[in-house]
Order: sequence, then C-alpha cells, then structure tokens
Amino acid sequence: MAQAFPAARFRDAAFPWLLPVAILAGWQAAVSAGLVSNRFMPAPLDVVRAGSEAVRTGELWTNLGVSSLRALAGFAIGGGIGFALGLANGLSRLSERLTDTSVQMVRNVPHLSLIPLVILWFGIGEEAKLFLVALGVFFPIYANTLHGIRSIDPALVEMGRVYGMTRAELFRRVVLPGALPSIFVGLRYALGIMWLTLIVAETISASSGLGYMAMQAREFMLVDVVVLAILIYAALGKLADTLTRMLERACLSWNPAYRSA
Amino acid sequence: MLLDALHRDAAVPARDNPEPAAPPRVEARPQAPQRGLAVTVRDLHKSFDGNPVIGGLDLHLPGGSFTAIVGRSGCGKSTLLRLILGLEEPTSGRIAIEPPPGTPPRAVPPRRIMFQEPRLLPWARVLDNVAVGLTGMGSRGERRDRAREALREVGLADKAGQWPATLSGGQRQRVALARALVSGPGLLALDEPLGALDALTRIEMQDLIERIWRAQDFTALLVTHDVAEAVALADRILVVDGGRIALDLRVDVPRPRRRGDPDLARLEGRILDHLLGTPQAA
Repeated sequence: MAQAFPAARFRDAAFPWLLPVAILAGWQAAVSAGLVSNRFMPAPLDVVRAGSEAVRTGELWTNLGVSSLRALAGFAIGGGIGFALGLANGLSRLSERLTDTSVQMVRNVPHLSLIPLVILWFGIGEEAKLFLVALGVFFPIYANTLHGIRSIDPALVEMGRVYGMTRAELFRRVVLPGALPSIFVGLRYALGIMWLTLIVAETISASSGLGYMAMQAREFMLVDVVVLAILIYAALGKLADTLTRMLERACLSWNPAYRSA
Repeated sequence: MLLDALHRDAAVPARDNPEPAAPPRVEARPQAPQRGLAVTVRDLHKSFDGNPVIGGLDLHLPGGSFTAIVGRSGCGKSTLLRLILGLEEPTSGRIAIEPPPGTPPRAVPPRRIMFQEPRLLPWARVLDNVAVGLTGMGSRGERRDRAREALREVGLADKAGQWPATLSGGQRQRVALARALVSGPGLLALDEPLGALDALTRIEMQDLIERIWRAQDFTALLVTHDVAEAVALADRILVVDGGRIALDLRVDVPRPRRRGDPDLARLEGRILDHLLGTPQAA
C-alpha cells in the first residue's frame, strides 16, 4: 500500500527520524536561549561548524580513514579466526574438546583490561589496536558460529546423507545456511564491540584516529569537536547496522522472520 | 526424461489391447522399463542397547509391488524400514536388494525414503529442494529440468520459485514426494508420510502416490498405523508384532479402489481385530 504513493512512502521513511530531529531542535533552542552553557554543551550549529572546519582541513577524513582501516583490519583478523574456530569446533568433537574450555576461560576476561599489558607489548603502534579489536570481535563470532552449527536440525542432516550428499555438499547446502542466522547475530554483536574497543584504545593510546581527535579536543577544551566525534561514532554504528541488515535480508530471505516488509 | 519414456510406454499396451472397451488405466502397467528393486530379508535381528526390536524376521518383496507394514507403536516397523533403506545396520541377518535381472550395474535405480516430516531445506527454493533428489547426477541444468518435471507431476509446477515456508503442510509433503521421485527410484519407502496431514489432504495424497506408483513401477513400502490407508493403497499388508511378521495378507481388490468398498472394510476389520487382540472374525 505504502509503495503506491510517494508521499506516503516518504512519510514512512521519515517517521523514525522524527525523534532525533526533535531532540536536536530542542537542544539548539536550549543553548541559544542560554539555558545550557556552551562551555559544557555546544549548540548543534557549533558542532556543524566544527564538522565543516574539520572537513575543510582534511583532519576529519584522515582520522576517519585511519580509524575505519584499523576497525576493519581488526575485525577481519579476529572475526576470521573466530569463524574458523567456531566451524572447526562445531564440526569436530576432537577440536572442541581440545580448545573450547580454554576459549571459555579467556572469554570471561574483559578484553579491555588487557590494555596496560598490550601497551607494554606493542607500545602505542597499530599492532596494539589491531590486537584489541581482533580479540574483542573474536568471541561473539566464535560463540555464535558454534551455536549455529550445534542447533542445526539433525533430521535435515540425515536427509542430506540419504540423498547422497558428500561431506562438502552437506556443509555447503545444509550446515552453513542453517547456521547463518546465528552467525549474523554474532556479526552484529561483533560490530558493536569493534567500535567500542577501537575508540577506547584510541582514546588511551594513539597518535591518530577519531578517538585521538576527541582526546586532543578535550586538551584544548574544544567541546564542539568532542561532540562531533561522538556523533560520528553514532553515525558509524548506524551505518554498520544498516549494512548488516541489508546483508541479512539478502542472505536470509527464506526465513519469514527476516523478510522485508 | 525418464518420466517421458514411461508415459510413452504406458500408451503401448493400450493400443495393442484386443478389447478396446477395457478401461486403459487398469491395463496400463508398463512392461518394458522395469526398475522395481526386489527386497529379500533373511533372519534379520536388530537390537538397541541389548533390547531386541526386530527378532528373526524373513521377508520378500517382489520388484514393483506395493506393500504396507502396519503395527502398534514401537513394534519395530519403522526400524525395519530404516534397515532396508540402509539407515541402520542390522545386528545380524541379511538384507538383499536386487534390481530386475539384466540391469547393468551402473543403471541400478536408487532407493528413496519419504519421512513423516517433509524435511525440506528452508533456505532453498522449492525447485532446488526437489533437485536435492538428484544430488550427484547430471549437470545443474539437467537437474533443474528434471526437478521441474517432477514438480509438475505432483501438481506444484507454479510453486517452483517459492520458499518452503510459504507452502501448506500438504504442499510441502508433495514437494518431498517430488524430491523422492525425481531420480526415478527403484524402491520408495514411505515412513508414515501422511501422518501429519488433515483427512482430506491425506486422501488426495494417497491418490497421488497410487497414481505415480502405477505409472512408474517402483517397489513401494509404506509404514503406517492407519489401517484404512494401508488397505486403500497396498497389494499386500504385513502386520508386525514384537519384531516379527504376525500376519501377511494379500489385498486382491482391483484398482482404482473406491473408498468404502465392502471388501476393503472387511480386510480393515480383520487387521484391526488382530492388532487389538480381539478374537478373529471368520
């Protein structure tokens, strides 16, 4: 129905943005009216100005690029290892008995508590950030991949065997697609942890990146830049979530729970 | 392709028939491409953790026959089916599956099973689910063509591109039937495949299974606890009790069978009497 009229479609799309826009407007009004000191909270327009300034000098793009690259590289390393180990432990009893207990023990250590140790090992170079992000995303991907493979309906596996599927075919056509919804849950968690870890790591020890930009701004009391950095985190989080959602819809369209309305 | 050949052969006896008045459906069992596998079971034993489920069972199913196995829950009928299909290993005894004489070893038709649940892959479209029945056979294009043909056979050609989640229970079971039949099996085992369907859908499915069996000449082995269903479909009914065959009955009622036929009702009564342990009517 909503597809038929462009106006109705626009209204549908705009609806979720109503609340954020109202908050922004209220915030701007509060600062302009002097209810809130702009030493503590800059007006949205000040933040926009700080943003355009950062874009003009190129500082924003450099920091954004550096942070994104770290995030993605760390994610690829940690997620890749987590996925591979999750598969191995889901498919092989031996592998699970060998490694799962150790993984579960390490999992209960908050990975950010390793920051002092990591700084001692790696200094404040790129390795430290990569290590922390990789460690952070490893666990949700590992645990959910393992869970996904465990929860596959054995009746379907038997069906595949009866119809003469080889082990590789069974994996590709039954096990992996069956585990995919759970793997996506892990992916979403991991993306959240990825940003969190990176920002914390950059705030504590870095010489470039978004977290570094925010810390520098604090040193010079540039509240608008601090808020700008926080807003960029929000936007990046939303972007990652949207991409995951699109991927889910493409890969899980068979599942009524994920079908687009 | 195989299905086409069968349709063509089915037309031949009708043309040569000396009595043109005879209904062609009754005469039309194809003679040439016999592929029903014969099953011979000798002194079969099977126990789970020391509990005997099948104890010294002998059985012969000729190629192309339609046999029903009935019995109470836990009498070992499903286990027998799974043993014949090779899904379980016998504790002792022998199961021989023989193709019709003269079949080249490479052309031995496969054995297929239809489970009580459809067991479709939820993430594969209906057509690809049917093509699972051709795993390891031919090219992808060939598999899809044959799957399309099998879907047409069960009356679901228009659902080829849908997800299984969008089908009704009866339709899903028909997709499972198409998947079981698409490879042209020599033995089709049916493990209470209609148990979860409503009464009308069930009757439709029974007719569909009977029609396809008559056209395709595979050996059919149906496990059910619905005696009426067994009597309506099978040529022969085996009552299994305590892991042995307690009763072996022929059903000599011509096809197509009418529901409510008095001969069928009499047979059904006899089997039920046996199962319930009441004294047998003469």
